[in-house]
Amino acid sequence: MRPYLFLLFFLPVSLQAQEEDLLSLLGEPEPTTEYVAASFKTNRVINLHSLESTSQGVLDIKISHRFGTLNRGAYELFGLDNASIRIGGDYGLTDQLTVGVGRSSYQKTYDGFLKYKFLRQSKGKRVMPVSAALLGTTAIQTMKWANPDRENYFSSRMYYTLQLILGRKFSEGFSLQASPTLVHRNLVKTRAEAHDVFALAVAGRVKLTKRLALNAEYIYVQPGQLLPGFRNALSVGLDIETGGHVFQLHLTNSTSMIEPGFVTETVEDWGNGGIHFGFNVSRVFTVVKPKFD
Amino acid sequence: MKWFKVRLLLWMISLSAPAALLSQRYLLNEGEAYFRSDAPLELIEARSKALRGVIDPEARAFAFSVPMSSFEGFNSPLQREHFNENYLESDVYPVATFSGRIIEEVDFSVPGDYVVRAKGKLNIHGIEQERIIKSELKVDGSGVHLKSDFTVLLEEHGISIPKIVYQKIAEEIAVRVEGTLAPQ
Repeated sequence: MRPYLFLLFFLPVSLQAQEEDLLSLLGEPEPTTEYVAASFKTNRVINLHSLESTSQGVLDIKISHRFGTLNRGAYELFGLDNASIRIGGDYGLTDQLTVGVGRSSYQKTYDGFLKYKFLRQSKGKRVMPVSAALLGTTAIQTMKWANPDRENYFSSRMYYTLQLILGRKFSEGFSLQASPTLVHRNLVKTRAEAHDVFALAVAGRVKLTKRLALNAEYIYVQPGQLLPGFRNALSVGLDIETGGHVFQLHLTNSTSMIEPGFVTETVEDWGNGGIHFGFNVSRVFTVVKPKFD
Repeated sequence: MKWFKVRLLLWMISLSAPAALLSQRYLLNEGEAYFRSDAPLELIEARSKALRGVIDPEARAFAFSVPMSSFEGFNSPLQREHFNENYLESDVYPVATFSGRIIEEVDFSVPGDYVVRAKGKLNIHGIEQERIIKSELKVDGSGVHLKSDFTVLLEEHGISIPKIVYQKIAEEIAVRVEGTLAPQ
């Protein structure tokens, strides 16, 4: 009899196991392609475009400030007396195609961009390890001509940028991207300066909590293209997300918030306190509501 | 001793085998899970058609599951992103499940309308709650049509609402599960 008594011990276990079995019988959900979301909190890292695009039917209004440098001291309240502003709006034509316009007080510049996210990191049915986007921007500087007497061309005001953004959300807490960048300037001040400036930008994010993230970006400009005195842009920042808003607070050595500016015209130096405090405020509006049948 | 071991093995197989082989199971082939958050400032609705389920009438056992990331609707794409990222943490807890036993005895071979109570474990956001959920079952020639309305308290499943959106997300979420199960 002893072995049978022993078996009674198994009975309730096997009954319970059956229930679990039923759940496991359902198996894994049918594999679908799941696109990885929220690699960055918004479509900008700090100055750089992140690999995120604006969702279809969503308008993202961005108001950004860069104050003067911290080394101006208490007289100028560490730079807060001066502010450079960009006001802009991005709109998602589709989930992968974003269009945007903006106006910067820095050199009175209007800018527009088109960004196409042609690869979306995904898992499940179709696995794609990276996201990739192509960004094209145009900027028009509208300052009064420095020499109105000489013949000036409108084309001299134009700047163009072409950028490939390649990135990956490695984990819930860590995303990294690299962006080979080409900035074309129609007019440069001296012969020694290149019209076409090549740069490599690297940016990353560490998610601290559900609503807080730490960002950093660095833009390496191949030497010899810019005059001495111009520097590589380095920025670190904090993203704070509150529902429909994203507040980005940062420290950066560049004043401009658009590619031709922060890639080729950064002059301040982190080493001597040439750091601007700044922020981007992003507010999204749903213009076209997602379908719900 | 060897004989006992063989006996033991046979016994264990015989315990689990009939349940798996003999009883007829009803599988959900079409269904959806819907939820509604009715807060003072905002109404949020979403549904998923990726609901799966099985009922074993013999054992009166059932199991249902739905992937969280399959919910669509919401008032904006960002809201859906936040649902997955900040509230349900769909990467960590990809599915919600409800499994257990039906309290009442129902003969699925007899057509008719039944109201049953399903007692089991509701797992949302990785947190299990023992629940008894009332369900309507309509049995006809094509199978079993299921409809069930219940509520989920966010607090019970470790989903906290930040103060800033307190007026926009209801503490109690209304859920409706509907579907047709057919014998396999």
